[in-house]
Amino acid sequence: MNALTMKNGAVVLGGRTIWKDATFSLESGSITAILGPNGAGKSTLLNIILGLVPLVEGSLEVLGEAPRRGNRRVGYMAQTRQADTVATMTGRDYVGLGFDGPRFGWGRDTAKREVVRQALALTGTTSFADQSLHSLSGGQRQRIALAHTTVFKPQLLLLDEPLAALDLAAQAEIVDLINLIRDTTGAAVVVVAHDLNPLAPIVDQVLWIARRQVRSGTVEEVVNEDVLSQLYGHPIEIVVTPRGRRVIVGLEEEFAHPHPHGHDHSHEDVHEHFAEVYEEETE
Amino acid sequence: MSLRELLATSFVQHAFYAVTAVALAAGAVGYFVVLRRQAFAAHAIGHVGFAGAAGAVLLGLSPIFGLLVFCLGAGLLIGFAGAELDDRDAVVGVTLTAALGLGVLFISLYSGYANATYSILFGQILGVTWSDVGLVAALSMGVLLVVSLTYRPLLFVSVDAQSAASRGLSTRAMSLLFMSLLGVTTVVAIQIVGVLLVFSLLVAPAAAAEVLTSRPLRTMFLAMGFALASAWLGLFFGVWIGGPVSFWITALASLAYLTARATNATRARRARRVVA
Repeated sequence: MNALTMKNGAVVLGGRTIWKDATFSLESGSITAILGPNGAGKSTLLNIILGLVPLVEGSLEVLGEAPRRGNRRVGYMAQTRQADTVATMTGRDYVGLGFDGPRFGWGRDTAKREVVRQALALTGTTSFADQSLHSLSGGQRQRIALAHTTVFKPQLLLLDEPLAALDLAAQAEIVDLINLIRDTTGAAVVVVAHDLNPLAPIVDQVLWIARRQVRSGTVEEVVNEDVLSQLYGHPIEIVVTPRGRRVIVGLEEEFAHPHPHGHDHSHEDVHEHFAEVYEEETE
Repeated sequence: MSLRELLATSFVQHAFYAVTAVALAAGAVGYFVVLRRQAFAAHAIGHVGFAGAAGAVLLGLSPIFGLLVFCLGAGLLIGFAGAELDDRDAVVGVTLTAALGLGVLFISLYSGYANATYSILFGQILGVTWSDVGLVAALSMGVLLVVSLTYRPLLFVSVDAQSAASRGLSTRAMSLLFMSLLGVTTVVAIQIVGVLLVFSLLVAPAAAAEVLTSRPLRTMFLAMGFALASAWLGLFFGVWIGGPVSFWITALASLAYLTARATNATRARRARRVVA
């Protein structure tokens, strides 16, 4: 069964076509990585699935219905959260907001305590759940955020850059946890990332968004020299290291001289991307 | 007059009821001001209120109506235009200076007695009438009621706007709601401590509370407690020792913050020693 089906989807923001002709589906219980340069429309895709941004063309079905805001069967984890810097909130409080945060009024739901306890147990966060969020490590905060997102055991889980700003050990931990959540809940998981390598062991499918196009398929089908060269319009080389890591060469151009239809990159962005590419190459 | 007789006078009684209501509302809303890092907005709304009050005095109206119109208006403007974090400071800054400019104009046009302006700037709690008390209490209770009903969504939007939006909460609507609460609370706090010292009830108690605990609801109640203690003791010292009540309230609220910081530092040092 498909958790999500998009046919010929196109999205326009501020008069600019972000991408079009997107056709793909996500199977229940599968893990999909979304890759592509900053500003290509990866987060926009998540917003469309969440019902926050409409498609201008094509159709989208999310868990058998049209996308709608506030669907509890869809879980979403933002890349940055103000909560992480707040001194007056513990992990347990934050996970609790995943349960009744959107609810107005005075009522108290007696089921909350048990649901929160289960989410903490599933994500292995019980031991530090009562500490202030800003006192936790980056990896611990991501685990808490995953607990917050999975309180209602969503059937579709959207994670925006869950590995950003984590060291390699913490990245591996979060990847394992994402895999565990998929196995225990059977959810289809979508992970936005800027590097495929840490996710490669668990990924079933890749969506590559660049130059207003969306390509989907298995890792081998998408992350290969022919597809990427065609997608970017210039030769791309992929070097596989002895330990199976893919180093992609030829995307520096994309970030140094954004094409006219692309998102404007500030100097900072360009700098950041060079750093990323450099890091990948020297790993 | 003895202290007991002073405390029994009607103007001290009025002041007591007014500070109680205001301190509770300001402590609760102040928690969200500190949580959302909107101290600058709180500061700006107070100053915008000054223009409103000066305008009302110029038109021969009660300053509180000008305060309400301007503070609510500024709150809604800041909440609407600044819902996205990026441009919030610029929006607040422009609103602030535009309103202050208007305030200067209104004062220069007003040729009457300048005492009204003075009390708006520095507070005039011992001058509140029984009807003022009624209005201030009603507004404060209204603020507390709304905060209690919207506490969870407000907290959610404040600590994770994107996730809250994905769950169906409107970030913009919540921002407008909060800024209206802040606008009304600023109006009532100005009655007691004035435009220039509005921070002492809105920010200092919550900032002190934030240092001492890591639970949201506990922080909010602690902030209300600090605000209430500063307001009651400030009023008492003002009557007993003399000096402006707003000075005492500000001094006590700042002292609460300093004490909280010192307590926390001592606690951290002790914890470190235990670990070592």
